[in-house]
Amino acid sequence: MNVAVAKPNRANKLKSTRIAGGLVNDYWNMVWRAKAEGKLICWYEGSAINPFLQAADICWVHGEAYSAMLAARHQEGPAQQAAEDRGYMKELCSYARTHLGCAISNQRNRNDTDTGVSNAPDDSDLASKLPPPDMIISAYAYCSTGQQWDEMTSRVFGKKIPIFNVSIPWIWGSKKDARYLHGREWEESSKYVARQLMDMVKFIEERTGKPYPWDRLREMMGQVKRASELRLEAMDMCTARPAPASFFDWVVSIAPINNLPVGPEIVSYFQTVRDEVAARVGAGEGAVPKEKYRLFFDGIMNWNKVGWLAEKFAAYDAAVVVGRYTHMAFWQEPDLIKASDPVLGMAQNYLICPNNHSAPILIDLIMDLCRKYEVDGMVIHASRTCRAFTNPQFLIADAATKRLGIQTSMFEGDVTDESFYKDELLNSRVEAMLESIDARRMVAA
Amino acid sequence: MKSFVMGIDFGSTTAKTVILDLKGRVVASNVSHMGAVSGDGLKASIAGALEEAGLSQADVGRVVSTGYGRRMIDVADKNFTEITCHARGAVAMTPDARLVIDIGGQDSKVIAVDSNGLVAQFAMNDRCAAGTGKFLEVLARAMEIKLEDMGAIALQAEETLKISSMCATFAETEVISLLAEGKTKPNVLGAVHAAIASRTLGLIGRVGKKGPVVMTGGVAKNPAAVHHIQLALGMPVILPKDPQTAGALGAALLALDDYRAEHKKELALAEDDDVDQLMGVARNCAPGCKGVADAVAKLAPTVEAPPPSKANSLWKRVQSHI
Repeated sequence: MNVAVAKPNRANKLKSTRIAGGLVNDYWNMVWRAKAEGKLICWYEGSAINPFLQAADICWVHGEAYSAMLAARHQEGPAQQAAEDRGYMKELCSYARTHLGCAISNQRNRNDTDTGVSNAPDDSDLASKLPPPDMIISAYAYCSTGQQWDEMTSRVFGKKIPIFNVSIPWIWGSKKDARYLHGREWEESSKYVARQLMDMVKFIEERTGKPYPWDRLREMMGQVKRASELRLEAMDMCTARPAPASFFDWVVSIAPINNLPVGPEIVSYFQTVRDEVAARVGAGEGAVPKEKYRLFFDGIMNWNKVGWLAEKFAAYDAAVVVGRYTHMAFWQEPDLIKASDPVLGMAQNYLICPNNHSAPILIDLIMDLCRKYEVDGMVIHASRTCRAFTNPQFLIADAATKRLGIQTSMFEGDVTDESFYKDELLNSRVEAMLESIDARRMVAA
Repeated sequence: MKSFVMGIDFGSTTAKTVILDLKGRVVASNVSHMGAVSGDGLKASIAGALEEAGLSQADVGRVVSTGYGRRMIDVADKNFTEITCHARGAVAMTPDARLVIDIGGQDSKVIAVDSNGLVAQFAMNDRCAAGTGKFLEVLARAMEIKLEDMGAIALQAEETLKISSMCATFAETEVISLLAEGKTKPNVLGAVHAAIASRTLGLIGRVGKKGPVVMTGGVAKNPAAVHHIQLALGMPVILPKDPQTAGALGAALLALDDYRAEHKKELALAEDDDVDQLMGVARNCAPGCKGVADAVAKLAPTVEAPPPSKANSLWKRVQSHI
């Protein structure tokens, strides 16, 4: 392979995903106005409990989403600096560090408490614009940092913010009857989380002082289910060659399924995306103009590098067609959701966060995706401050090599702290993997 | 048609150049030390190799580059990563090798190669420089000894100490602390080299331990590093004669493949004796290299045009070789 390409091919991104940008802006503007409009505000991390909150007219702020938004806009620096000034070290989850920095910046500007922060950003900065919470709900699968993050947030606000914890147990999958979505452990864990969600609803009722609007939740979960079905249908169409959409298109589409307001808009969004993908399949149009390689992406997104990475892989004629982060998360099992009685299905979707499975189940799922999308290789992003996602990656790489005979390549980066990313390391590793694929193809020819 | 090809490994601290003739024989090689990815070092290396071969750049038909600075070389026709080139070069130097350990100035890598000499799996150090040539350079400076003397001094160690830090900078701090405690330089250096071996073993674990093992890169010239890696591995490590030039040799072999494929008709018309020798090279890529040869051989049937009629008998002989 000669990588000294004069004019590298550009990523042919889905046009329909541009709509997501407008939806995202509308949502954050709503969040920034919420306090002035007298709304209760809930901060939460991890699981997508936002429909529970939205139904009760509570403004919801997903911590990772806010940090990711700052990183995607390259405005994460002031928040991260504020957190580090407060003593939160660089090795702490950068989602948490960025979000805590927002809390600290907000408090500093409000002069509510002495945080000891120096050089915090001013009011015009997005970090300090994040409205403070009236409640915190912690519902994090797999991530031990999540609950501590919420405790730290509460401390920043003077320990005056009530916290409700939902315990989402790890799925061990070690019993004889244990399979994906199957077995006694699965049934018991599902009911255990569902019971807690019912308690969470009581907590919400206490905060709002109103009976919980179940009909509204049912209606919204019907919309989530439909949006998810359309999203998965569009993803499935990417088994076509060339793949009509890439992992990076699905990254851009995370917010609409994960934390934007539930309503007809998200159904319409995924219908539009699905239709564009179908049209591309019909026209033989690929997400990468000259698809030569098909790759699996393991790891969370580098939110400061979404466009950058999309262009980089396109320049290599590599279509990243599928990923753990995009294809194994975010209401990925809509069939579990009964719109008429949605709580159990919601609990189950929270349980199957891709990191919440034991390695054998997780790896089987990933290998199935690799086969389904006929990938030639796997690129692995080891997120420096999210070891929960990174922990099984050597096992995944080993399985990919031994079971599928495909090459893997690992690079280090991070979710929102770009200082952990070094371009040359990724270049060398990806190019070496692609050269290896080329050599094997030549031998096989 | 030209008679020579060139491989250049423009690394982080040295530039290496290898020139081959079209039979895959090394006619010249050069290693030039320099600052970080230095243009002067590169020029010196290329000029040194050309001078040794008695050639000018115009005599070279194809140039392939590798290393950190591989994209910066104007004379290069193509570039490949260090992984591909080191695997190719190491297997050419040691045909039976199944695991290549390459520790260079800025990174360390472990490459598993299959029976065809192709890259089966690889692992590289993360951004941290621990366990690389740079790591040794930093510590040599801290201990006020010459880099080239480190290995011999380390082998005099009598006490087992431990350097635990993964970071070159913190390791320097650890070394200074140990010296301040009165530990001897040989004992401290023994610990430094054991730490390198430990890091290397971690990379080997990611691709799977297998043998025979060959070691390339500048650190392969350090006897203490080799000693401790052998201890950690529990198996011998094969050292090629000139381990620093493995990447440049691999690049030169890729240039040879490319140039020969482009000129296969002219090569097929060569004299019988020469063809015999050429096919011997093609089967083996470079003297003694069996694996990559198969890749080259399997490419040969893709020739579209039939051989010239007068060379039919010769073509049959060629086919019998491949």
